[in-house]
Amino acid sequence: MLEKILTDKFREILKLVFTDITNQQDRRDAEEFSKDEVRIKEHLLDVVEPYPPDTILDDDFLIAAVDGSGTDNLMLLDDIRVHLLSTATTVLDTNTRSEKLFDPISTKALEERLGGQPHLDVHWHSGVRNDAQKKMAETLESIYPLKDVVDIILPFFKDDSSGVISSVSGFTGTDYEKHLPELREMETLISRAQILTNPVVHDELRKVSEYAAARNVLTSDIRPKYLLLDGALSIFMHFVKKYPSMPSGFMLRELASLARKEGVVLCAVSKNHTIPFAHRIAKMAQDAFGEGTKWFCQLPCRDDPGGGLHITEDRTYIPPRLAVPYLFSFSQDNRPSRIDFDRVWWLENVFVRSDPVATRQNEKALFRDLEFMSRDARWYGYPVPLALAHEACKLSYEDLRLAREICKDVRHEIGLDTRKTEPLRADYNL
Amino acid sequence: MLDRDSLGELFGKVGVGNQTMLGIMGNNRDVSVGEIFMIYSQRDGHERVFFFRVLGLENYLRQVDDMARVAGTLMVEGDSYLSGIERNMLLSVDGRMLGYAEETGEGWRFRSPRRLPDHLASVYRPIPGTSDKPVREMLSSQTDGSVRVGDLQIGEATLDVPVMIPTDKLPMHVGIFGSTGSGKSNLMMVLIKSIIDSNLDYLREHDSEHPRVSAFCIDPHDEFARGVDKYGIQSVIEAMDATTRADVIKDFYYLTTHKRATKREIKRYTKEIRVLWEEIRPRDLYSIMEFTPQMYSFIDSQFSRHQEEWVEKILNMTEDDTPEGTPKGTLKAVQRRLRFLERSPIFVESGSSILGEIFEAMETGRILVVNTSLMSDMEQFLLTTIVTRTLSDMRRALKSSGNLGDFVRQGEMRLPKPFFGKVKAQAKAFYGKGGVDDESPVRDPRELPVILVTVEEAPSILNPELMRGQSVFKDISRQGRKFNIGLLVVSQQVSVLDNVILSQMNTEVNLRLGNEREIRACIENASINISGFENEFRVMAQGEGIVTASYREMPLPVKIPLFDTVFERDKARYKAKGPPRKERTL
Ligand SMILES: Nc1ncnc2c1ncn2[C@@H]1O[C@H](COP(=O)(O)OP(=O)(O)OP(=O)(O)O)[C@@H](O)[C@H]1O
Ligand SMILES: [Mg+2]
Repeated sequence: MLEKILTDKFREILKLVFTDITNQQDRRDAEEFSKDEVRIKEHLLDVVEPYPPDTILDDDFLIAAVDGSGTDNLMLLDDIRVHLLSTATTVLDTNTRSEKLFDPISTKALEERLGGQPHLDVHWHSGVRNDAQKKMAETLESIYPLKDVVDIILPFFKDDSSGVISSVSGFTGTDYEKHLPELREMETLISRAQILTNPVVHDELRKVSEYAAARNVLTSDIRPKYLLLDGALSIFMHFVKKYPSMPSGFMLRELASLARKEGVVLCAVSKNHTIPFAHRIAKMAQDAFGEGTKWFCQLPCRDDPGGGLHITEDRTYIPPRLAVPYLFSFSQDNRPSRIDFDRVWWLENVFVRSDPVATRQNEKALFRDLEFMSRDARWYGYPVPLALAHEACKLSYEDLRLAREICKDVRHEIGLDTRKTEPLRADYNL
Repeated sequence: MLDRDSLGELFGKVGVGNQTMLGIMGNNRDVSVGEIFMIYSQRDGHERVFFFRVLGLENYLRQVDDMARVAGTLMVEGDSYLSGIERNMLLSVDGRMLGYAEETGEGWRFRSPRRLPDHLASVYRPIPGTSDKPVREMLSSQTDGSVRVGDLQIGEATLDVPVMIPTDKLPMHVGIFGSTGSGKSNLMMVLIKSIIDSNLDYLREHDSEHPRVSAFCIDPHDEFARGVDKYGIQSVIEAMDATTRADVIKDFYYLTTHKRATKREIKRYTKEIRVLWEEIRPRDLYSIMEFTPQMYSFIDSQFSRHQEEWVEKILNMTEDDTPEGTPKGTLKAVQRRLRFLERSPIFVESGSSILGEIFEAMETGRILVVNTSLMSDMEQFLLTTIVTRTLSDMRRALKSSGNLGDFVRQGEMRLPKPFFGKVKAQAKAFYGKGGVDDESPVRDPRELPVILVTVEEAPSILNPELMRGQSVFKDISRQGRKFNIGLLVVSQQVSVLDNVILSQMNTEVNLRLGNEREIRACIENASINISGFENEFRVMAQGEGIVTASYREMPLPVKIPLFDTVFERDKARYKAKGPPRKERTL
């Protein structure tokens, strides 16, 4: 292989691809971007005004963060896949008064409220037709703390219809009416059933276990000011049915509405994102505000004053439905990250109709808090609660190896055959 | 089941670990070199407690593999902080897995560290006052015995876990190594007291499982009797009532060159060291100084001709009296070497000898403190050699006999006749089983008291040059076990000692050492692997040591108590109606 990679021929192929990209995509986008440039610079981009390092907040607050990890291949027993899911919650106290900034609440105190930390779930399904869907529905039901499916789905419709639909009877006469039976069962909420590949199943389970952990924070007595999720607040929609194609979409909205009710700011941070021209926006910020300045930039949607951006026009999930994304950078060494807020909350708490100055002030207050929680030297620029949650939940190679060994052990203990637990390819030294 | 709270303070969980490193997730608190962590694991119904000794440490943050980068960020980003740093720590500790104790259903067994503790097993840090009993139980096979060296040390503290040497291991020789001021003399006094205590138990309880121990203790600085600080062995003797004292030391324990120069209280228990020329054998001299082949053959020929009179004959000989073929100058050279005997107050041509009384003392479980401070080195070495050779030849004669009749024949053959003539009757009484007539069967030397002979300034006589020849110490280091005689080798250096003695040594008390070369030699010589303990030696304080023994799996860090402290603690028990010895382990 290596000798092929090292040939000029391979380089030629790559050259063609990159030239193509520049010619077709970048050029078109560049044109679009130039249409947005002035608007971004003058209206959407702004600096973060950080708290001084020795600030003492009038009200110290708590921040909770949830992250999850796992594997879709804890064990493979012929056509049966065993998944492992781990979710961790961290809660930090800004603690400016005692000068122990962003002090984590002890695991013990957390476990008393939220159960074991990090939390582990196991799931399995086989290749039998519909089994993936059936088993997934069962697992989702058991993972998500809210059990009534109608209660899970309603918040989406409520938010999506701006309150027009507020109960099941609200479906009468709408396009949704004919889907009502499907909307009552977890199994039929999974409307992307045809493409339930193993990774799709795993992603869905992981998302839901993170949402479940987040929901447990909201129903506990912890009362954080912020609740941080890892990722984006995107909802994948069924294009025909016009509602989320997976239960997690509904659950996310249920979570968002509960957060609003509890007065908790729900947001999701993603290091990986596909915002076009993020690097150009970062460069613009640097040019405009100077190197090292911390900044944020809203990515508006069609309904916002001034409408959506040209660069995101053809991108289905940017901005995501019912969410408001921002780009931000709190550290010049790192590429900008993205943060999403619940749009309903944002409209109520950040956005001030016909008052861009007031809106901007709200945004600045928000990002000042977010920047403050992103100064840990280990992950400078990234919210430390999420970093800690990530560290707490992540399964290392060694963890997984041990977990697999324990699988073997347990099977032995309960008198089942002991099969090899290594990936199949290991049998052939591949 | 073990009460886990009694292990001590829960310190954290094992993150990663191997034989030489332990990553502990837990609270980062001060951890010091020398601390012992206990790791509890339970699997398949087996309870195991691993012992890990800290030899070096390095803190690092739990989530950081790149400390330099974090440090850089802290510098560059003036507003940065570290969240929850005290709590969320991974402490990386260099050290050694010493082994593990395993509950077998019949108590704890200790094993070499072949396996490792489980991931996430709980790590405990022992607390004095809480952890003593379980540690004592778990380590009983590693610490039991009857001669107490000190207490198990865990970092800066000690547990009430006595570290002992079993009586039956004493004849496999003991080494005490430490630079000047490391606490060798204090340790000797502690050992002497412990031997007295052990013998007292024997006398009072007829505790035959702990046989008597005799010790011939060379004291080159005349410190043991009076002590270094407040108390000495004399204080122990004085604390006894008359009966106990008579049982333990009969009428003397102190030997010196000049009784006149001895302090009054001690004088009561003092005898003068006198050894007759006739009690010296050529081998005794060969063991302490070098001769040329011509000198050896000259001495040997004189000895075979004159037997016990060989010293006297040689010293009074003129060149004309030398046998034909003796190279010129040989006589002069030999005389020069023997001349110190003429000047010596202790090696005398005629008079009464102390050797018989030393023999009696050593065969009856007593200790002798031998003040050699007024002797020359040669005198001290020769005395040690004669005593060692005499005691071992007596037992050798015994060992090769079936009954007392055999023994007498053997004794007459092996020992200077006048000496044997004097001790014969007594020896038969010690060695005979159920009678003293010639037909009486003899005892096995292992039923007799263990005899411990100290060799002070050991490098002067246990060096490779002397040990190459016909050294008495070569035999005894190899065969001591057979005769139940052990050497207690005291030395500031290990590197210069002969390999024969080092390889035959099975217990070492390694105290603070002078330099890197000695540290290395000590580690190499230790009866169990203590590689990696270099740092430990470098930070050792006075009275701290590591006990290594071939019959144990675990190197035992030990704090030797000050003699004064143990004396104060135990002095009441030397009265006849005194309290019994502190409850023994197990
Ligand atoms: N176990 C101990 N605990 C505390 N201090 C001790 C201990 N042993 C010895 N020391 C201190 O160290 C000093 C020297 O001890 P000691 O005379 O026993 O050393 P040494 O090794 O015999 O030295 P040298 O080689 O000079 O004879 C003592 O005066 C005492 O104060
Ligand atoms: Mg000394």
